Amino acid sequence: MPSGTAADFATIPFGPDAATLEEALELIAEAGLEGAADAHLRREALELYATLPPPGARPRRGWRYDYGKLNYDDLVWTTGRSQPQTQSEAPVAAAEGDLPALATENAGGLFHLGATLVEPGERTARDERVIVLPLADARLRYPDLIAEHLGSIADWRGDRFAALATAFENCGAFVYVPDGVVVEAPIQLVWANSPARDEAVFPHILVVLGAGAQATVIERHIGGGDPFVCGLVEVHAGERARLDYVTVQQAGEGARVFFRRAARCTRESLVRWNLAELGSALARTVLNAHLGAEGARCETAALFFTTGFAHVDLTTATDHAVGPTFSDTAVRSAANDRGQGRYVGDIVIRPRAHGSDASLRDDALLLSAHAHIDTVPALEIAANDVKAFHGATVGSLDEDALFYVLSRGIPKNEALRMVTLGFFEPVITRFPGEALRDEIRTALDAKIDEATEDA
Amino acid sequence: MPARGLVTRDLRVAVQDTEILKGIDLTVEPGQVHALMGPNGSGKSTLAFAMAGHPGYNVTGGSVTLDGEELLGLPPDKRARAGLFLSFQYPAAIPGVSVANFLRSARQAVRSGDLSPAKFRALVFEKLDTLDMDPAFLGRYVNDGFSGGEKKRLEMLQMAIIAPKYAILDETDSGLDVDALQAVARAAVALRESDDGRHMGFLVITHYPRILRYLPADVVHVMIDGRIAKTGGPDLAERIEREGYDVIRDEVATARA
Repeated sequence: MPSGTAADFATIPFGPDAATLEEALELIAEAGLEGAADAHLRREALELYATLPPPGARPRRGWRYDYGKLNYDDLVWTTGRSQPQTQSEAPVAAAEGDLPALATENAGGLFHLGATLVEPGERTARDERVIVLPLADARLRYPDLIAEHLGSIADWRGDRFAALATAFENCGAFVYVPDGVVVEAPIQLVWANSPARDEAVFPHILVVLGAGAQATVIERHIGGGDPFVCGLVEVHAGERARLDYVTVQQAGEGARVFFRRAARCTRESLVRWNLAELGSALARTVLNAHLGAEGARCETAALFFTTGFAHVDLTTATDHAVGPTFSDTAVRSAANDRGQGRYVGDIVIRPRAHGSDASLRDDALLLSAHAHIDTVPALEIAANDVKAFHGATVGSLDEDALFYVLSRGIPKNEALRMVTLGFFEPVITRFPGEALRDEIRTALDAKIDEATEDA
Repeated sequence: MPARGLVTRDLRVAVQDTEILKGIDLTVEPGQVHALMGPNGSGKSTLAFAMAGHPGYNVTGGSVTLDGEELLGLPPDKRARAGLFLSFQYPAAIPGVSVANFLRSARQAVRSGDLSPAKFRALVFEKLDTLDMDPAFLGRYVNDGFSGGEKKRLEMLQMAIIAPKYAILDETDSGLDVDALQAVARAAVALRESDDGRHMGFLVITHYPRILRYLPADVVHVMIDGRIAKTGGPDLAERIEREGYDVIRDEVATARA
């Protein structure tokens, strides 16, 4: 590991107020970490963070979450560079035990405990031609590739939390698949939190696929405790490239997880966003796709299940910049207990996007009287001869369907489970690989069980 | 005194404060086929739903027993596990749940663990064949986008897989072409001739005697205005086809007068 010695490991209290954040940034600058984000850029980002409004400052309809009241008390920021002495191997083993998919074949990846890379390898991709590296190492070894793409795909300057992620970046990954290379097994990027310490984790992930390249990247969030994870994901799909980008968010019940993920889709490329928000107390995600050249396509399949007092706030924003380009978005969400959800689906078809085809469908299922989900689909069409469809439903469980299942002798808990799981199925089937689909079904099942036990 | 059979005694059912069934007495003995006929709105489907335990139907009096076990007060799933099966007139769709999974769950719920996976699979394929159903059905979502005929075939497939003690077929024959009708009837007959279904009792709710040509009724009842107006043998069904319900209605009125 080029930059990893025990000496440059530091923890910095990550405070709630601006002064503490400034101070943290100074300490970070003084540490002079190799391959770290530029200090001036960090400063600019922190200034933006201070000035940008919190998302959804004007709550729409029933959705309530005051981002202005977010606090960062009792968090620590680490450089993410070496194994903290205070941690034993136990949490790593425990976290790995929770990860059936990691036991399956994969094409390499990175595993983080908090912001810290665990057992980093010199080359972490199985295929010699493919690069999977911590972002800091990639900055040193592939400066041109990083300079070309990093920070230029996601609009972090317009997003308060993406700006925060840029200011305090302390980990990340660079995945590069060169022209024509097809990676069959998934590349896995894992962030686990140890319940022993609540960290402020700021990952920055960059995935670059060359022309005709194909890959599946799975980003996972697991573990216990109450971490604050705030990250940025940038994807560049070269001509005819095909990327399945999967996020499985199963962070602990107290976690707050913020991500902005953006894709730049070039000519005839296909990016599939697959998102499953199944954990955390608060999750805010923006999925962006810029369809900037003829034949570019983005397919989004997202699901969330919010229970207890959890909040999930999801935005998909698809920009058809030229035509013809294609997008297909499907979102399924459910809320139980006092779970709150919001989905904003924006599609913009610009004047030059003739012949484009955009479809957006979202369905929300409310499983308790106190649960709430807002869905706000919005189409903005400035081109002629385009096909655009959007549809949204919010409803409770279909009583006729439930009675039908009961009438076959299936007990109520099982019937509820069956109908609820079935509701998610059309989106689950769009995730790549039967192993992953089964894993998501199992995770949803566990959430439904919690819910029906309480019922 | 508990009796064998699917028995209703003075069953009274209201829907939103309106009494629909005004005291129904029926006894379907094991192995028997009873036909229940009657004009639209006479309460036939209400009887089916009330017996199956639909929460929208309010039982205001009487009893429903299955081989002596009181069903009223039991939730719908327990009634099914006691041995009752309802073939729906309008089966609900369960999007996202495959027919294969649904069949397995239903069989498992009613007859827990009695078949090895291989034997279960063999049973499913045998019944698919009886019903002229493509095995591709197994991968489709339950009733989702099914045609009317496909839905009814799936009802019969479920009945055949569950092999209940008593089945209520609520207009399973309506809207079917002759091929579908024959397939549906064949499934019921095959079940009656199997070891599992030898003692099975049927309550066949229908408008038309044609299904009874394939599945002959031992007893025919005519329901009018929430009451059993007349009970007779198979010839009663033929008479209704010739003369219509009005003749029966008039007869009953005359008898009462």
